[in-house]
Amino acid sequence: MILDRLGRELLFFDGGMGTLLQEKGLRPGELPEAWNLEHTEDIVDIHRQYFESGSDIVLTNTFGANALKFHSSEYDLEDIITAAVVSAKEGAWLGVRDDRKVYVAMDIGPTGKLLKPLGDLDFETALSAFGEAAGYGEAAGADLIHIETMSDMYEMKAAVLGAKEHTSLPVFVTMIFDEKGKLLTGGDVAAAVSMLEGLRVDALGINCGLGPEQMLPILEDIMKYTSLPVIVKPNAGLPRQRDGRTVYDVAPEEFASSMKKIVEMGACAVGGCCGTTPAHIREMTRLCRGMEVKSPVRKSHTIVSSYGRAVLLGDKPVIIGERINPTGKKRFRQALKDHDMEYILKEAVTQQEKGAHILDVNVGLPDIDEKSMMQDVVGELQSITSLPLQIDTVDPQAMEAAMRMYNGKPMINSVNGKQESMDQVFPLVKKYGGVVVGLTLDEEGIPSDAEGRARIAGRIIEEAGKYGIEKKDIVIDVLAMTISSDPDGARTTLEALRLVRERYGVRTVLGVSNISFGLPGRAVINANFYTMALQSGLTAGIINPSSAEMMKSYYAYCALMGFDANCEEYIREYGTVQADTSAQAGPSSLSLRAAIEKGLKEDASAITRELVKEQPPLAIIDSELIPALDQVGKGFERGTVFLPQLLMSADAAKNAFAVLRDRLEESGASTEKKEKIILATVKGDIHDIGKNIVKVLLENYSFDVIDMGKDVPPEDIVRKAMEEEVRLVGLSALMTTTVGSMEETIRQLKEARPDCRVMVGGAVLNQEYADMIGADFYGKDAMQSVYYAQELFGR
Amino acid sequence: MTDTMTKEAVRYLGFGRREADEATLRLVAAAFSQLEKAASPRIVWRVFDLKTAGEGRLDIGGMEVESRSLWKNMKGCCQAVVLGATLGSGVDLLMRRQSLTDMAAAVVTQACAAAMLEEYLDGEQEKIGRELEREGKYLRPRFSPGYGDFSICHQGQLLAMLEAPKRIGLSLTDSSMLTPVKSVTAVIGVSTVKEPCHRKGCEACGKTDCIYRRNEG
Repeated sequence: MILDRLGRELLFFDGGMGTLLQEKGLRPGELPEAWNLEHTEDIVDIHRQYFESGSDIVLTNTFGANALKFHSSEYDLEDIITAAVVSAKEGAWLGVRDDRKVYVAMDIGPTGKLLKPLGDLDFETALSAFGEAAGYGEAAGADLIHIETMSDMYEMKAAVLGAKEHTSLPVFVTMIFDEKGKLLTGGDVAAAVSMLEGLRVDALGINCGLGPEQMLPILEDIMKYTSLPVIVKPNAGLPRQRDGRTVYDVAPEEFASSMKKIVEMGACAVGGCCGTTPAHIREMTRLCRGMEVKSPVRKSHTIVSSYGRAVLLGDKPVIIGERINPTGKKRFRQALKDHDMEYILKEAVTQQEKGAHILDVNVGLPDIDEKSMMQDVVGELQSITSLPLQIDTVDPQAMEAAMRMYNGKPMINSVNGKQESMDQVFPLVKKYGGVVVGLTLDEEGIPSDAEGRARIAGRIIEEAGKYGIEKKDIVIDVLAMTISSDPDGARTTLEALRLVRERYGVRTVLGVSNISFGLPGRAVINANFYTMALQSGLTAGIINPSSAEMMKSYYAYCALMGFDANCEEYIREYGTVQADTSAQAGPSSLSLRAAIEKGLKEDASAITRELVKEQPPLAIIDSELIPALDQVGKGFERGTVFLPQLLMSADAAKNAFAVLRDRLEESGASTEKKEKIILATVKGDIHDIGKNIVKVLLENYSFDVIDMGKDVPPEDIVRKAMEEEVRLVGLSALMTTTVGSMEETIRQLKEARPDCRVMVGGAVLNQEYADMIGADFYGKDAMQSVYYAQELFGR
Repeated sequence: MTDTMTKEAVRYLGFGRREADEATLRLVAAAFSQLEKAASPRIVWRVFDLKTAGEGRLDIGGMEVESRSLWKNMKGCCQAVVLGATLGSGVDLLMRRQSLTDMAAAVVTQACAAAMLEEYLDGEQEKIGRELEREGKYLRPRFSPGYGDFSICHQGQLLAMLEAPKRIGLSLTDSSMLTPVKSVTAVIGVSTVKEPCHRKGCEACGKTDCIYRRNEG
């Protein structure tokens, strides 16, 4: 089997396919995979040439053979893939003249589409398409699955999971990096490697995009992070244009000598990509055959990643933001019940701005569907932040759903020493990868002494080992018990932190603020305990990054312990403190009305906070907010106020409203019953800035906006309109291609809910167009929708 | 950030030729500095043979197009540069984040990103032009699907001709929208005759009532 040889001896892949097909007459726009059936002898011949040149592994001609990319009315996908595998085997039979064992790899390339939320391809759809193709490959007799030229981590994850769920073959993955060492969607080497290792691929590496020399620094980076055998398949240099054709300049001899260097650096399976030919492979095997390979070295970095960055849980402590959690937070619980994504996402943005490195995500409430809420929140978070997430739930279904759709290598909170918990969580970690938090409690509860907690940590690590989960992927939480009920609580925790660090060498995590539960001035205790815990070996504190005291502890600790080079972070945070306080000192002399008209957000909140001490909120709305908004709105219509100014005022008004709403809720006064309006960008359309502008303005005028987001199917909009009994729906479309789905949405709405009005807007629309598709109102700019809604609801 | 970029961003924001206020200019400056970090501009281009067959019909490297406006634009050309460019998905994420917390900033970033993309394309087009000039060939203004009657439905073919998904991560949704959002595809005529006038995209467009139209006066 190939896995017995991989990493122990040098193996050779083949070279490019596309160039050779073009030489044999493949026309631009023609599907290369169709040649598996139309020109079988040419495909066999290319494989033969590579085997003759010394390749041990050849890739089938199936780069684009998946249901999302291969659209042919003539050929069946399964036939195409079967023919591809058979041709490669025939090539081996014709081309291998010695007794070496060779392999056929089922080649899987990207779909050419971008996955949601950035594009419109659904993760599960991609996964099934890849799985289907891989399944055909295995059935036809392929020896392994080779996923290549991947430039997006999410698509790569879909491909790996698809291959693993539909076959039992080894899975290799190679990626396309740019010269800066980034994937096209921003992932770096550490982020991608940690995710792939978590998914338990058998080998990983680089192909395409660059020539061998440009790949050297990326290879170096990969070697730093991976414990797996590494594959390198460069292009024959960078592509150049000559006479309208793409050409590659690196000749076989030069290619071979670069590949020798690459093997010396640690690659153990090498080949070529675009522009390389049997001549390149022949030179390479001639020069390199028999070279010793460095066996892969186990790395012990604890890394979590998102699609865009990796976070190392190393000696420098990291911060896990605790705020996405309903425990003890009335407002957050309400947001979950109302499916108020905006509120939840803002918590994420704030924590990121305040310095969190990882975000804990807990959306568990007794009366909500936690699995679907977890999926929604994780999906939305991935579209606004590149911070890695810590999936925090006790519901195994919610945990699996989140791990499956997570783009990267997540942190998982948590497993504990109970056998049942370990039986549930470890199989998930084995399948999807992740760094899992192990709580030191078991069937007997939480041991009162440090030794007891350390022993449970040991058992968790041991049990994980049975699943092949390494110690680097476990972080231990020794638990903090409040000192108001257990006077030894803090000491035990600190001692246990030291013990597990020393005994097992694992990283640690701790929910720090528990320690002060039931005490006044909790921030004082928390911050001091946090410093002590860091000093005792805490890697990742789960804290509130908006707490100034906690952050002071963090930055001071890092500066004191040499984790903050030149105290840069410390100086950035605290270097200008005095200037700031003096600026905030004087009360603003502006009126609220003026602050809103000028679009001053901070002033608007501050002034409102002062005003509510003297006036009832509703009076402030009538005398200050509404006149200000009207003034700005009129200016916008006259052309004296422009869009950015209109929105700055809207944002300022929003801030003022937030203060007033808090006050109204505190006083228990029921806030005015507001009319509901649905807003959505229609199916197929992914541009939502226009819709978002309308939303902010409608909210300013106290409408209850139900924002359904972008790319929303007509059926969903109709269902929501029925459920919520709305009388007004606003639809936006940017391009001609999506006006059709706007028309369809209107048709369905009119049918299901005849008394519901529809207003439309967007760059492609005009009055005539809007009339044609049956809209009740066309808003040429955002303010028009406000006026229409006011008129409709008789305000 | 250049003065032209600021000027263009302000125009996209609807100010026309009027001066923007200080608060808006501050937002513009902040948006450009965030975009510097979030954007990773990439381009892919190739030269294809161009054939014209009767009025309004063209064949660009095997892709058949019916468009009078493109045809007019390419008159006298024998080849065409096809290009795709994107600022990358980091910009999409930045705008989504801003839409949540600061709508004014989101709108300004959107305009600044458009200006940044245009500036980037101008620079790249100049480089391509210099390269081709060595062979005695000259570029016409660039023309994108969606201008005049050049249908945006051709975007898929253009991307395929360039292998744009693989090379620069630029792809298309089912409804022919480019992803990442701040991206462009375009065709540039290549002729052996140097045209005296080098009109850029905006003025060349037939949609003369467009509110964002650059003032020619």
